[in-house]
Amino acid sequence: MNAPVPLAITEEEFQKFRDFFYRKTGIHFEENKRYFVDKRLIDRILATNNTSFRNYFVMLRFETSGKELQQLINIMTVNETYFFREEYQFTCLVNSVLNEIVTRKRPSEPIRIWSLPSSSGEEPYSLAIYLLEYWPRVDDYAIELIASDIDTTMLEKARQGRYDQRSVAHLPPPLLRKYFTALYDGSYQINDDLRQSVDFTQVNLSDLAQMRAYRDFDVVFCRNLLIYFDDTSRRIAAETLFNALNPGGFICLGHSESMSRITPLFKVRKFPEAIIYQKPR
Amino acid sequence: MTLIKKHDATGDAPREFRHQSRDRAGLLCQLEADAPEQRRWAALDLAAFSDAADALCDRLEQETQTPVREAILTSLIQIGGNPVVCGLMPLLRSEDAALRNQVIEALQQLPEAVSPYIERMLADDDADYRIFAINVLANLRHPQAPAWLQDVIERDDNINACAAAVDGLAEIGTPEAIPALTALPERFADDPFMQFCTQTAIRRIQGHGA
Ligand SMILES: C[S@@+](CC[C@H](N)C(=O)[O-])C[C@H]1O[C@@H](n2cnc3c(N)ncnc32)[C@H](O)[C@@H]1O
Repeated sequence: MNAPVPLAITEEEFQKFRDFFYRKTGIHFEENKRYFVDKRLIDRILATNNTSFRNYFVMLRFETSGKELQQLINIMTVNETYFFREEYQFTCLVNSVLNEIVTRKRPSEPIRIWSLPSSSGEEPYSLAIYLLEYWPRVDDYAIELIASDIDTTMLEKARQGRYDQRSVAHLPPPLLRKYFTALYDGSYQINDDLRQSVDFTQVNLSDLAQMRAYRDFDVVFCRNLLIYFDDTSRRIAAETLFNALNPGGFICLGHSESMSRITPLFKVRKFPEAIIYQKPR
Repeated sequence: MTLIKKHDATGDAPREFRHQSRDRAGLLCQLEADAPEQRRWAALDLAAFSDAADALCDRLEQETQTPVREAILTSLIQIGGNPVVCGLMPLLRSEDAALRNQVIEALQQLPEAVSPYIERMLADDDADYRIFAINVLANLRHPQAPAWLQDVIERDDNINACAAAVDGLAEIGTPEAIPALTALPERFADDPFMQFCTQTAIRRIQGHGA
């Protein structure tokens, strides 16, 4: 039997960890997140058979595989999401934004949409459903849906596409019946066609080197992530999203997030359904 | 169903600028390139070189394209430290109002590095320059920011500088500033507007405390 190890994280250790984690992810923990952070850190220290923060932290910084860092990231991120969250933006996409985008497209050119962060997949699958159901020209264009997150556990969950009742609560019942299979345990399995239509990849938005490979997007949904960043990482995020967009491309943020407070790089576009941001043409 | 899944998520079109040499010398050279996109990429990549601050500040002064300017400032903020602040401060004297505002916002994101220079900035002969320093303070996450603003309203003879400091105190002031705010209108007795500004600020501060 394991004897419980009395472990506590000191103020100084918390600061050290917080700086390290911030540099890796852009995520900034305020002092009031102390309990949340300490608890998870202690769990990882014990799970890796370390006896102190010190040993654990040395291991974390020097491991070449990056595995433990990934574990930590997976437990420190807030992954809350659900189908049809902030639906008015999807309405805006099919009623206004896409119609503007296609005026600049040759018929063979794909429309590229990126859900970043996608968390467990509810957002990109909502986009797929929305396009199929509500965009009349969906059959005229090839649409590529890419979905990314830093959290590998969430990406795995997204690829599986199995959701609990709470996740699907905002979906109209006919759509739930059409695109999901109800399972005996009360969960819902999304159908294979939808699973096949979204490409899930791991991406750290704060990593310029990784982000530079992502480009030519017409629309990016970057919702409910920047709230976890500080001003500087928001700014870096804005730069990398700018790089990823085509000229004239659009970016949707969560309702409590604002690009204008971060950078003058984007134009504010007021559509009947939503305010979104646009990279100048 | 026409939604398609691609196996290369990243995009097709070749982008030469993304693949040019990214060593320091190469990047410094690309920072002066004709194509704005190339300058922008170089500026972003130079964030990895802390000794690139001078070159970035020099480029910033001449740069006219907003996206390139923003990239330069983003990298300077990441580099941080005193050399960056020293490179940015003179740009507050620029004739270009947009650039000045961008510099003010960048300095606000460097509270520790900017703090040793605040007193010197607030003592500058040029009242406009002092006002820009006050604008930096009004949104600076530094524990001493309210005290510096209070200093301004106690000492600065320029009415516009004092008015800017009062605006700043309305945002970040604490009750300690109230006596100085109450005394201020007397120093500018000809100007009824100052009375109005200080009263508004005092009410805001009292509201904060509530
Ligand atoms: C609250 S969820 C938002 C999901 C979805 N966009 C929504 O609005 O419902 C935030 C997600 O951001 C991811 N995340 C945090 N930091 C990240 C980073 N640096 N790069 C990419 N994703 C990140 C987390 O793993 C988490 O899944």
